[in-house]
Amino acid sequence: MVRDMTEDPFETVVAAHHAEIHRYLARATSRPAEADDLSQETFVRAYKAYRALPPDANVRAWLFAIATNLCRNHYRAEGRRRLAMAAAAAGATERGPSWPEGEAIANQASARIDLIVAGLPFKQRAAFTLRKVHELDYDAIGKSLECSAESARAHVFQALKKVRQGLDDLDVVHTERQP
Amino acid sequence: MNAENRTCREIEPDLVAVAAGEAGASAARSVERHVGICRGCRDELARYRVLEGMVADLRRAPLAGADPTLARAELESRLADIRSRMVAYGIFSSPLGKLLIARSELGVSMVRYIDSERSAKAYVARLAGDDAVEDKAAVEGTYRELLDYLNARSTRLSWQLDLRWAGSDFQRRVLAATAQLPYGAITSYSGIARRIGAPGSVRAVAQALRHNPIPIAIPCHRVIGSSGDLTGYAGSKIGLKERLLSLEGVPVGHAAHKIDRGHMYVLYEGYTEYCLPTCGSLATEPMSQLTLFGTRRHAESVGLTPCSSCRPDLHPISA
Repeated sequence: MVRDMTEDPFETVVAAHHAEIHRYLARATSRPAEADDLSQETFVRAYKAYRALPPDANVRAWLFAIATNLCRNHYRAEGRRRLAMAAAAAGATERGPSWPEGEAIANQASARIDLIVAGLPFKQRAAFTLRKVHELDYDAIGKSLECSAESARAHVFQALKKVRQGLDDLDVVHTERQP
Repeated sequence: MNAENRTCREIEPDLVAVAAGEAGASAARSVERHVGICRGCRDELARYRVLEGMVADLRRAPLAGADPTLARAELESRLADIRSRMVAYGIFSSPLGKLLIARSELGVSMVRYIDSERSAKAYVARLAGDDAVEDKAAVEGTYRELLDYLNARSTRLSWQLDLRWAGSDFQRRVLAATAQLPYGAITSYSGIARRIGAPGSVRAVAQALRHNPIPIAIPCHRVIGSSGDLTGYAGSKIGLKERLLSLEGVPVGHAAHKIDRGHMYVLYEGYTEYCLPTCGSLATEPMSQLTLFGTRRHAESVGLTPCSSCRPDLHPISA
């Protein structure tokens, strides 16, 4: 097949996947604003490598892997910031709905889960989001996180346990505040 | 769940898998057995099921503060910028040996005779850096057209050209004038110099053509020395110049690398008739005023008519 350079097939890739990758990165970084930069970077890298991609490759899983990789490097570069984030999120968990922003969104279960997920270590947070939100299979998650499918499953399991625990704690705080 | 109980601890991953609908048959059976006898784990399973339901809402609920619209718009403009700089290239074999062909979204930007693939790739990388990607499929069509041309199945390469690797305005002017030379016609370096309004810059014209980034498509092989010498081509590939000219019906004296004006039809600048080389004072006119044709067919294919006094149609040059 002769591919015409003026009809760029990558435009279809952007149209199909950018919004989802952006949403993933917003969770994976726990800071939606960073998803803007990282999602652009993901697609710029993908664009350069796209030609070398085998035609039968799973483009969506491949994009998630690039995004995850960028995210991890981002955290390596900003290690201290991540620790600060984790501390803040842990604080959020402790204080629960008494946190001003928490108050407004606390009745929404999904927002509460997002708050807890934001405080998880990176691998658990990414694995949880890839599996539970974007429904990638464990093989693909393993490739994204550069670990085995089994380790990927273990990360999701650990994350789920903590989310459950976190929700329980929130409920406890909530009920204790009732007179 | 009793935290002290080993079975409960060990079964928790399976419990979670069952809640998520991911458990295998045997794991599902042991979970079913266990929750039948363990109330704590039964409750636990119920809670994980509730949790799965809440988690499923994450897929539908919008994420606060995460609007991709702006990022998407910025991305599109970055991609457009990268796309315009990007050059795809491939290396192909041809009757003239191995060729590197490169093109961008603007058009063909390079045809290069190569000896070694490695040094050719290094050359492109030096010129274009990250903007060059090897992608044979993207240049395959261009290659096919070139192959048709080199095998005399076509006489036109109607390519858009991207002159990004022309070094200067002067070189662009030289290349543009050269690109106007029709198939089967030749002129001299002094002829090109005159056409671009720089009649004194004959040597600079030769230099500019020596570094022609798109030979064949920009037919620098149709430009020769005023004495009829082929002079040079793509460094030391004068044999290729002869082959390209022979393809176009230009008689080349192979031994001397020379073209004999006495065997070519002649167009004097500004005329619409072509002549025999002996017509009037043509034999002594400077090459810079002349365009030569190897065959009448090629002269007539650009709209020229036979001269009414020397009548090349009645007295064709014998081969």
